[in-house]
Amino acid sequence: MTGVVTGGWEFVWAAYGITFAVLAGYGIRLAVGLRTGKEDEER
Amino acid sequence: MEIASAPPVSPRAVRGALVALGVGILLLTVGWYQGLFVAPPEHYMGEVQRIMYVHVPTAWHALLALSFAFLSALAFLWKNDWRWDARLEAAVEMGVLLSILCCVQGAIWGKPTWGVWWDWDPRLTAMAVMLVAFLGILALRHLVDDPRKRAVWSSVATVISYANVPIVYFSVRWWNSLHQVQSTPKTVDSAMVTPLRINAFGMLFVLIAFVTLRSQIARRRLAAELAPPPAASTALAAGGER
Amino acid sequence: MRAVAAAFYKDLLLGWRGRAQGMAVAVFGATLLLLLSFAVGPNAQMLRQLGGGFLWVALLFSSTLALTESFRLERENRAIEGMLLLGVHPAAIFYGKALANWLQLFVLGLLLLPVMVVLYDPSLDGIGGVIGVLALGTAGLSAPGTLHAGLSSQTRAQQVLLPLLLFPLVVPVLIAAVRATSLLLLGDPMGQARSWALLLLAFDGVFWPLCGLLFGHVIEE
Repeated sequence: MTGVVTGGWEFVWAAYGITFAVLAGYGIRLAVGLRTGKEDEER
Repeated sequence: MEIASAPPVSPRAVRGALVALGVGILLLTVGWYQGLFVAPPEHYMGEVQRIMYVHVPTAWHALLALSFAFLSALAFLWKNDWRWDARLEAAVEMGVLLSILCCVQGAIWGKPTWGVWWDWDPRLTAMAVMLVAFLGILALRHLVDDPRKRAVWSSVATVISYANVPIVYFSVRWWNSLHQVQSTPKTVDSAMVTPLRINAFGMLFVLIAFVTLRSQIARRRLAAELAPPPAASTALAAGGER
Repeated sequence: MRAVAAAFYKDLLLGWRGRAQGMAVAVFGATLLLLLSFAVGPNAQMLRQLGGGFLWVALLFSSTLALTESFRLERENRAIEGMLLLGVHPAAIFYGKALANWLQLFVLGLLLLPVMVVLYDPSLDGIGGVIGVLALGTAGLSAPGTLHAGLSSQTRAQQVLLPLLLFPLVVPVLIAAVRATSLLLLGDPMGQARSWALLLLAFDGVFWPLCGLLFGHVIEE
């Protein structure tokens, strides 16, 4: 590897952003799944 | 073969999971702040080094999730307890999710560093192979309707796929070593270890929370699928939803 | 042990009776080799380099057809349940079938070898070693392949499920077999082919026992 990588903030934001979106999205999916299931059970 | 009936959802587990999730989110907030704004840029990689603070924990926990899936598979085959099948389902799903995330992060890190999105790094390549293997297991679970067969077959497939992990890693590393010198990102600088640790623990708590909650959802579905049909129609309707 | 031999003989007999199907699979493999060379173009130098790799890719894709076929008759006639009711140990059923599949895949590889030689023009010095690699590699395909073929034959999506489950598992076999074959055909100055063959042997050593152990879970009702 020669030289220094300069800049690259857009890659950092992309990585953090995608990670956040995926984890948050999955969390929301879990919340919805638990809630609809509980409604079915109480019916 | 007698199998214990599926126990209902445990509210205590859900509460515990939500606490863990809170702790995890707190730790990740601190960890991400440190990783993005406090930790110094690395000498060669510059700001791109910051991706390591999410990438390394993601990789560790992908492997941890798949390891837990392996243990759950063995536990189910040994004890025939439906709770282990529920945990297997949750662990495989999280393992696949984190593996995909890890490969994406690796590519985003790789482009500015190596100039290519994928450079056949042995660890990432081995993870990609495992990702496909466990995606296949998820597909298997979706394509089998009988809960008993689904549980037994996905446990068998999980055991075999996990046993393959060291062999795959070793093969890919050897295959690639002929063409390339390994370059590992260095995280030994003490200013970098702390954010890494905080992020690792944060993600661990989130992983535990997600797997617990997801297995509760699986247990609920299993209870509906395994319930003896009272007036037939309601039980069938409940078992058909996904 | 006798049960294994009986099961092996039964599967060989079934394979021999269905040899027209087997020939069709071989033709499929040969066609794959031809198509793969079209993907590269008439560049003799490049084709020579890639010949080993293409042989194993063609063999891998053809193997799914052969493995699927090996369970079709059992499934249609519910023969596995019959054998279990007779008291045959599931591991015996597995090893009989896996050995028969191994032989079938090995023969398939031997049939594809001359096609590869004609199309890709490698040197023939290392051919003996290549045949050895064929034996070790097809063994690596057969054990997990037989297990997953038995599993997927009971689902409604066998055609997609078998490759999906099998291919990631046999990545080490593909890597090692291709490297060993290419080294033997193109020249092996550092004598590395033996190490790759040992990796194949290790893979077989892990998966033949493991798959035999787990097969019972796959076919029980």
